[in-house]
Amino acid sequence: MRAFADSLQSPLFRRALIEAVLVGVIAGVVGVHVALRRMSFFVVALSHGTFPGVVVASLVGVSLFAGGVTAAALMILAIVLVGRARAVDESSAIGVVLAGAFAVGVLLMSAQPGQSRDLTAFLVGQVLGVTTADIVRTAVVGALLFTVLILFRKELVGAAFDPAGFGALGYSATALEVLAMGVVAVALVTAIPTVGTILAVALLTVPALAARQCTDRLGLLTPIAGALGGVCAFVGLAAATVFGIAAGAAIALTTVVAFMACFLGKRVLA
Amino acid sequence: MYRLLIEPYQSGFMLRALLEVVLLGVIGAAIGIHVLLRRLTFLTEALQHTVFPGIAIAFALEQSLLLGALVAAAATVVGFVALTRDARVNADAALAVMTVGFFALGVAVVSHRSGYASDLSQLLFGRILSVGSVEVIQTAIIGALVIGALIAFHKELVLVAFDRVHATALGLPTAALDLLINAAVALTVVAAVRAVGSVLVVAFVITPVAAARLLTKSVAAAAFVGAALASLVGWIALSVSYDAAVNHDVRLAPGASVVVAFELLFVVVAIAAAVRNRRRRVPVALA
Repeated sequence: MRAFADSLQSPLFRRALIEAVLVGVIAGVVGVHVALRRMSFFVVALSHGTFPGVVVASLVGVSLFAGGVTAAALMILAIVLVGRARAVDESSAIGVVLAGAFAVGVLLMSAQPGQSRDLTAFLVGQVLGVTTADIVRTAVVGALLFTVLILFRKELVGAAFDPAGFGALGYSATALEVLAMGVVAVALVTAIPTVGTILAVALLTVPALAARQCTDRLGLLTPIAGALGGVCAFVGLAAATVFGIAAGAAIALTTVVAFMACFLGKRVLA
Repeated sequence: MYRLLIEPYQSGFMLRALLEVVLLGVIGAAIGIHVLLRRLTFLTEALQHTVFPGIAIAFALEQSLLLGALVAAAATVVGFVALTRDARVNADAALAVMTVGFFALGVAVVSHRSGYASDLSQLLFGRILSVGSVEVIQTAIIGALVIGALIAFHKELVLVAFDRVHATALGLPTAALDLLINAAVALTVVAAVRAVGSVLVVAFVITPVAAARLLTKSVAAAAFVGAALASLVGWIALSVSYDAAVNHDVRLAPGASVVVAFELLFVVVAIAAAVRNRRRRVPVALA
């Protein structure tokens, strides 16, 4: 606890804490749609797929966010194309694309000597290097995503549960699918440069799944998932400073502990 | 040609790397066709991440990496079955939670040591050029086990994959056959992870056989063609990566080169298959 209290003195750490909690809340809320649509594998794949974009961006010297967004967009396109070829089902299409994208990233990186530090940063993030501008950008992106989710709430939820019935009502299931993928992708690439891939994937999947253990009501799912995401980010970052482990890994482990607590707690109470 | 494709393998480490790539290509294709049929890609992806803490802990304790990976893989399969017994946890959710949890545990273990960046990238990307004879033999043994089991139960496994209801009606033990496939996937991942690292294994399992499936009609044919393509393309890619390093001073990570070559193979085959299908379809559409 002393270590945590000491860290709070540092503005670096306070900024990291604000960023982590912001990302936690945004990812928790967006994660509800990942859980409803069973898109976890897509999230894992996308997190690998942005890797070559981040590597190229750091080589060329443009923003990592731009590199990540471009790679994510290309990857969604590739998944749709491979899936459309009908040769393989969607999960195999995702698998083929994700391994390929990651290998391209590794290949590019291996051509430059001494890049393993970049890779580690990509995996576990550099949450202590967060600037005020990063926090503002995260907050703005979060506000935009929340607006989209609120505006299209009924459509997104309806299409997730019954795409055929929703299509019959005259909505385009494909358009809503792409909208959901897009929201998830933007949330992911906003989080990755500062908090790393493991953490971004963890926050986008696990808090919503934990919330799903606590409630059957959709209206409660979103606030519980958002709150859990924020709390896990806070507790995990504190644990990382106390035990001296990578912040991304500590927060990810905290979300899994929260999931197991909900999963087992429900059984004990029942 | 000789200088590119044969000469590098006169040195022991390149020969062992080639043997390992070919072995993994063959095992990957054999199990990969079942992964494709049963849509187990996410399970494969999850396993390659969940064995990571086993390897990281074994590495930190200086124990056998194979043992660490096996324990972690067994824990994954048990945890997966336990979690999905709950109606509110679907397979997607269970795999997501386990992937994140196990992988983060591995990174936490490694990150606790100082100067962990190079350890981490070694564990993540494997060291195919430093594969020892013992590891090649271990891979061959695992391969013999996996392929032997797949051949012995070929008919049953294919039937369950295509028509579970029919298989149950015939009295086949579907749960035991599912477990067999999950165990075979886990063993394959364990064998591959030390050589090609924790991220690229899934490519060995699904990419060549996904290409082969576009060219063939039966399950066995897809596995054979996939194994042949993987071996051939793996050999060429390894040679090119060696040639680039020795003669052109460009470092291309050998494991990633092999995977990128697999992807190129898939793209070429997919385009060829699409063109062929379109040609075939035209007369039908006109009639």
